[in-house]
This record gives sequence, C-alpha cells and structure tokens, in this order.
Amino acid sequence: MATITCREFLSYLEPWMEGERSQDVQAHVRTCAHCTSVIKDLEMIHSEARGWNPSEQDAPERVWTALREQLEQEGLIRGTIPTRQQAARGQALRAGWFAGLFPRLPRPVLAGAYLAALVAVAFALSGPVNKRVNEARWLKGTQISTSPLSAQLNFAEQNSNSYVTRSNPVVAASLHQNLAIVDNYIALCEKSVSEEPQNEVARDYLYEAYQQKADLLTQMTERGENVQ
Amino acid sequence: MSSSHFVPAQWLPKANWKTAGLLVPSLLLCSAVSAAPHRQEQHFKVAAHPVITIHNPNGLITVKAWTKSEVMIISTPASDRIEVDAEQMGNRVDVSTRELSDSVAPDDMRADFQINVPEDAELQIHNDAGNVSVANVLGDMNVETVAAGVDLEDATGYLTVKTVGGSFTCMRCAGRIEASSISGNFRLLDLRSYHVWAQTSSGNILFNGQFLPNGTYSLKNYSGVIEVRFSPGDSFDLSATSLKGKVNNEAKLTPPPHQRHFMPRWGNALFGTFNEGRAKIEMTSFDGTINILKRD
Repeated sequence: MATITCREFLSYLEPWMEGERSQDVQAHVRTCAHCTSVIKDLEMIHSEARGWNPSEQDAPERVWTALREQLEQEGLIRGTIPTRQQAARGQALRAGWFAGLFPRLPRPVLAGAYLAALVAVAFALSGPVNKRVNEARWLKGTQISTSPLSAQLNFAEQNSNSYVTRSNPVVAASLHQNLAIVDNYIALCEKSVSEEPQNEVARDYLYEAYQQKADLLTQMTERGENVQ
Repeated sequence: MSSSHFVPAQWLPKANWKTAGLLVPSLLLCSAVSAAPHRQEQHFKVAAHPVITIHNPNGLITVKAWTKSEVMIISTPASDRIEVDAEQMGNRVDVSTRELSDSVAPDDMRADFQINVPEDAELQIHNDAGNVSVANVLGDMNVETVAAGVDLEDATGYLTVKTVGGSFTCMRCAGRIEASSISGNFRLLDLRSYHVWAQTSSGNILFNGQFLPNGTYSLKNYSGVIEVRFSPGDSFDLSATSLKGKVNNEAKLTPPPHQRHFMPRWGNALFGTFNEGRAKIEMTSFDGTINILKRD
C-alpha cells in the first residue's frame, strides 16, 4: 500500500534517481503507474543522454539558471545553489542530480530533454486529476499541470528564436511556421479543455501539442547551435 | 629596337581591348572552375548489415541498394566553402557535410548525394532541407528532417521518419513504420506493414495498403484529412474518432461484440468490425475529417 502521494513523490524524485530509495517511496512506485511512468521516462532520457555528443556548445548561462530555478520551484529538485554572487555558480548548476543525470550532455540538448521531462511530469500529474468528478477541479488540475509548462515553453521559445535566426532561411522559416501551427493548436486545445474540462481526448491533444512544442524548441535551439 | 615601334599608335588601344576581351572571359572561366563544386566519389568495403549515417544540412540525398558489399558515395557540394567528410569505422560509414570557414552563407551549405549501399544496410539520415529518397534498402532506417520531404520505396525493417514540415511518402514498404510530423502530409501506398504508427498535426494521412492479420494501424492528426482505403476481403477492427470533425464511412461494420473499456464520449466516433476483425485500425483527429473508403 502506498504511503505517500504522487505530489510528495516528486520531492523524492531527485534522491530516487541518485539511488536513494526509501521503503515508502518504493511502495508508492510499486502501486502508482503514473510515477512509474515518470521514472521510466527519466531513465530513458538518461540512457539516451549517454549517447549524445558532448562537444556541442553551451546555451547561455541564464537558460540553465532559469531551468534550475524552475525545477526547484516546482519541487522536482532541491535547491542547492547558495547565492547568485558566487563565482562558481555555473559549475554548481551542473553539479548534483541534475548534471549527474546527464553527465555528458550538451546544454541545448539538455534543455530539450528537460522540456520533454516537464511535459511527461505534467501529464503524469494529470492522471490522478482524471479521476475527479467535479469539473472545476478538472480544470484546475489541468491548469496546475500546464501553467508552469506553458510558462517554461514560452521562456524556451524566446531563447530558441534568437538561435534559429542564424540558421538556413528555409529551415528557419519552416521551424517558425510549424511553431505557429503548434501554438495555434495549443490555444484551440486549451479553449476546448476549458469548455469541456473532463474531455480526455482534448486533454490528450493539449499535452501532445505541448510535447510537440518542446520537441520543436529543442530542434530550433540545436539548429541555431549548429550554425554558430 | 622593339617591335612595338612598328605598331601604329592608333592600334595600341584596340589591341589592348582585344587582349582584354580574350583575357577577362578566360580569367572568369578559370575562377568559376576553381569555385565550382567538386564531385567526389568514394568507395568503402563493408561486411553484412553495415550502418551508414548521413548528416547534411541541405540537399538531395538519394540512396539505392545494390548487390555489392560496398558503399559508394558520390557527393556534390554546392560550393568550395564546404566539405563532405566520409569515413569508415569498422562496419559503419559516417558521412557529414561541414563548413570550411565560420562565415558560410546558408545557400552554400548544400550538398547533394547519390549513395549506393548493400540491401541489408541500416541507414540513419539527418537532412534539414531538400529531399531524402531511399529505394530497395531492407535494413532499419531512421530519417529526420525539418523541411525536407522523405520518399521511401520498397523498404522493410523498422522505419522511423520524423519531419517538421516535410512530407513523407512510403511506397510498397513492409515491416514496422513509425512516422511523425507537424505539418507534413503522409502518403502510405501499397503497404504490407504489420505495424504502422503515423501522426501529423496539420497534415493529411492517406493509407492505401493491406491490413495484415494481427497488424496494428494507428493514424492520428489534429486537423487535415485521414483517409484509409479498404478492399472487400480485408479484415479489421476499426475505431475512428474525430472530436470536432466528421467521420465518413463506406465499410459495413458490425458492432463491437462487447463493451469496450474505453469509449469516448466526445466528438464523432465510429467503432465496429469488418469481416473477422483480424487487424486493428485506430484513427483519431481533433477537428479533421476521417474517411474510410472502398478501394477502387
């Protein structure tokens, strides 16, 4: 029998990935398909990360600072950064579970992996919400899981735009055009979800649209990096 | 005494223009030749099941299978500011296009390839723009593009195709197919695949192939048209749902024998079995149209 909730489990995610697995947490994972799915996704990302090329250039430090802060705010990892003024902050950002999870990973790729993971976590969080009957709660549950995601993707979009402008015009145009398509779908799905909060199909489409946007932003960042 | 003394003065300018008239085109021709793209042909001996990776930012990539245990790469860069590297590491041949200076114009970052590989080769191709065409290769394949279209013919194995806006056409393919895009159109023609998973957001999906027993066929988009063609002898279990669009059906379906675990309560949905229901077809759209039509 599970002794912690899904939300509580998120605070144990970092130690879990580092190998610290208490009995309570193990019990929860054994009985919760959603959290098991999150772990599998992260392990898969970790596994994929090992094969990626470490020689690519880094994204600006502010991207990683913001990502780390966002992870901490969402309780996905614990805060380990002492102060903004510390000169070694850049290295500290890479230390710990976040970097340990992706030891050889270039940062633009890691940004994409993070966005993908964020979508997976948001989707996992939506699972327990599905069971609720009250429509307002459904809507609130969706907003809880998608609001940080939306904000994060918008932030990533600003950075990606600055990268991709240096890319091949045909490729850049295609990426921007398709980003607009995905943004439009996100808006339509959000409208649909707000109108019918219990509509699982609309919710699935919404999460998939977020996933597509995350993938697209990753590609934009990578393409920008390649032409530097 | 120099011979120039015998040349009338009024001739001199004329003679110089004549010389210049000959020299300038010659020089231009020489410079054009030196800047012209240099076609390069390379051969690599390989063993069974070689892996060929290609990374190219822009260009036409044509891959064909042949019976030789050899990989032949003919590359044509668009300018002398880029270079095509091809190297062999064991049974893997890596091909990549790289820039020779920091300030290469995007138009110059283009290279076309004609590649011949053994039938059992595995391919991994990244080509952002242009086109990718592969024929008769039986090994696994992974193709990723942004705007480039992808055309596969007579391919088997595990085929994964991912584009952003590029279209995807698969003719007479067999094996397992997984394709995703945002705005690319998919045309899956004369297939003999047991597993097809195709997802595009705004693109259309046309499936005109066999539904093999125990095969699974999942076609999904956001808008656009999903169309499947069936023959009287086909046998499938069908699920078609469009949240805000239409579902048009020409198949005489029998209702599902028992209640399904998951029955969507929204949109236009259609469930049923055609003949014995050996294959499984799932089609889902947000506001697109789904057509289930008889094959001509």
